Amino acid sequence: MRIDHLSKFQDDPVSHLMDLENREVSVAALYDPDLYELEMERIFAKAWLLLGHDSEIPKVGDYVVRLMGEDQVIVARAADNQVHVSLNVCPHRAMHVCIADSGNTRVHKCIYHGWAFRPDGSFIGAPIEKEKMHGEIKSKEQLGLKQARVATLGGLVFATFNHDGPSLDDWLGEMKFYYEMLFCRTDNGLEVLGPPQRLTIDANWKTAGEQSACDGFHTLTLHGSLLEGGAMAGEENTEHESAPAMYGVNVSGNGHSLRCIPADTSWAMMAGKTHPGMTDDERLEMMPPPGITRELLPQVRRNLTAEQLHVFAKAPPVVGGMFPNVNILFVYAPLRDGTLGSALVLHSINPKGVDKFEWVTYFFTEKDASPEVKHMMRAAAAQLTGTSGIIEQDDSDTWPHMSEASRGFMGRTETLKYQAILGENRPADWPNKARVYSGFSKDDAQWNWWLAYHELMTSKA
Amino acid sequence: MSISTEMKPATTSSTLTEVTYGSPVYNQIMTWMIREARLLDHRQLDEWQTYLAEDLIYKVPVRLTRRVQGFDTEFSDVGHMDDDYGSMTARVQRLTGTKSAWAEDPASRVRRFVTNVSVWETDIPGEYKVSSYLLLTRNRADARDYKQLSAERNDRLRWNGERYLLAHRIVLIDQVVLGMPNLAIFL
Repeated sequence: MRIDHLSKFQDDPVSHLMDLENREVSVAALYDPDLYELEMERIFAKAWLLLGHDSEIPKVGDYVVRLMGEDQVIVARAADNQVHVSLNVCPHRAMHVCIADSGNTRVHKCIYHGWAFRPDGSFIGAPIEKEKMHGEIKSKEQLGLKQARVATLGGLVFATFNHDGPSLDDWLGEMKFYYEMLFCRTDNGLEVLGPPQRLTIDANWKTAGEQSACDGFHTLTLHGSLLEGGAMAGEENTEHESAPAMYGVNVSGNGHSLRCIPADTSWAMMAGKTHPGMTDDERLEMMPPPGITRELLPQVRRNLTAEQLHVFAKAPPVVGGMFPNVNILFVYAPLRDGTLGSALVLHSINPKGVDKFEWVTYFFTEKDASPEVKHMMRAAAAQLTGTSGIIEQDDSDTWPHMSEASRGFMGRTETLKYQAILGENRPADWPNKARVYSGFSKDDAQWNWWLAYHELMTSKA
Repeated sequence: MSISTEMKPATTSSTLTEVTYGSPVYNQIMTWMIREARLLDHRQLDEWQTYLAEDLIYKVPVRLTRRVQGFDTEFSDVGHMDDDYGSMTARVQRLTGTKSAWAEDPASRVRRFVTNVSVWETDIPGEYKVSSYLLLTRNRADARDYKQLSAERNDRLRWNGERYLLAHRIVLIDQVVLGMPNLAIFL
């Protein structure tokens, strides 16, 4: 792209790609390398991004290396016991300061020339102090590792390089009300079951990104093997008409979204019976939401508000995403011994060039769950989701097809369509939080994801 | 993070007695390995399932890059696969008994090259520890390239009077970030 075109493109990068009136996105959005570079600047250097969980780095000096866009960052617990996020690029000669994925150290010393940094990113010094090898032009205070802003929700670590942008609370907006039901519901919160799975998918990051925003519809076809096994309560051959798990409440705000599946539906699916007319407490006792055991219910009652408890009992959020690149699955996992297990899974979708992304999969449990429950959840998560998951192996095979299609000259003239509209409609007893779409899962929340994308891409601040 | 012996790469310094290369037991196990690879490459998954013991443990641990002092502790308790007999048969059933297991429909073209097989006796008669190297190539649809995976497999094989059964397999992959988009295939 020539420079004059480039500046025009930066002023108006997406109007030729998004038809706001008809709710269509050009397939070229999955292909355009200039657009990709602009996404790194306007989305991945601006958004709050998920980097892991503070249970991964419990001790001072613990660190993990993670991705923000294509940038590696060091997520470390410093002497102040706080989590700091530093760009993993030595300000001296751009060498990666950390060369392992995780570890514990009080001093991050670059192996190239020996510049040394504390876990909070501040510069300690360069070797041969008396020779002032960092020079005298810049002070030591100016030579620390570049810092990201850090905020946590239920121990989940988020960071952004947008120091003047919204707080994490403002970024999440009213969706925080729902995320708290997943991340902040017990006294001691979540913990990771281990380091994340990582793999490479040959597709544009937005293929997985937009799907995370409540694409319930694909479940019927792409995950048809589960329907055939009866896991979605449909009869074979008629599941498209009857699958009740398609009916629920999608909630959406600021591009974030969650699908709330009625407990009655889950009972019908998992236990083959319904229990109408129960109180919220009776519902929670009858079948605690995914990841929660009966022993943990007193904690849940303490940590959630009455409004949250009502939603949690009636239709807990189970799948969804956080704009731009987090996918959430807090789901039931029917076990072969006839009992009901669960898997708590978060993915981050990390761009690695216009036609590649690194898919990172974290497995969680409640810290206060029993060792047996944790063991069950670790296996259930690996069997259902991520690398070998019988649900998600079909997704990771699909996204590359979309990127491949975008390489075709004619393929790029097609559009992604979000024209199945349910419209906002809130059940009478549903809290007035975020946008609420009750009924068959349609394109509403996914289109809101694209509107959030549009807003960031057209904002130069 | 605790690392069991099965999750460490096998070495010749094992205190177990090694079964001699070319001996009858070694040859039986080598033959089993070649047959197993052939069954998997040819998608004869129902027959492959009969090679599995009912107390099977099958894991593909997640790997981390560590400083060299931690090379022996690169593998975690979390797995890319974390399976037992029941979950493996459910995987086989999904792949062979449903009409919409899209991750392997159309099927990948897979070759499993199994070499460097070492066999050790264990405390249990008829049960052997087996370490093998696996080089796997996978091609899908009209892809021009191959997705590759190299690994060390640390197995436990049990003679049940008629045949060997796989009781234990830990697959130590050489990649931290897998280059293929899923493990809808068995290693």
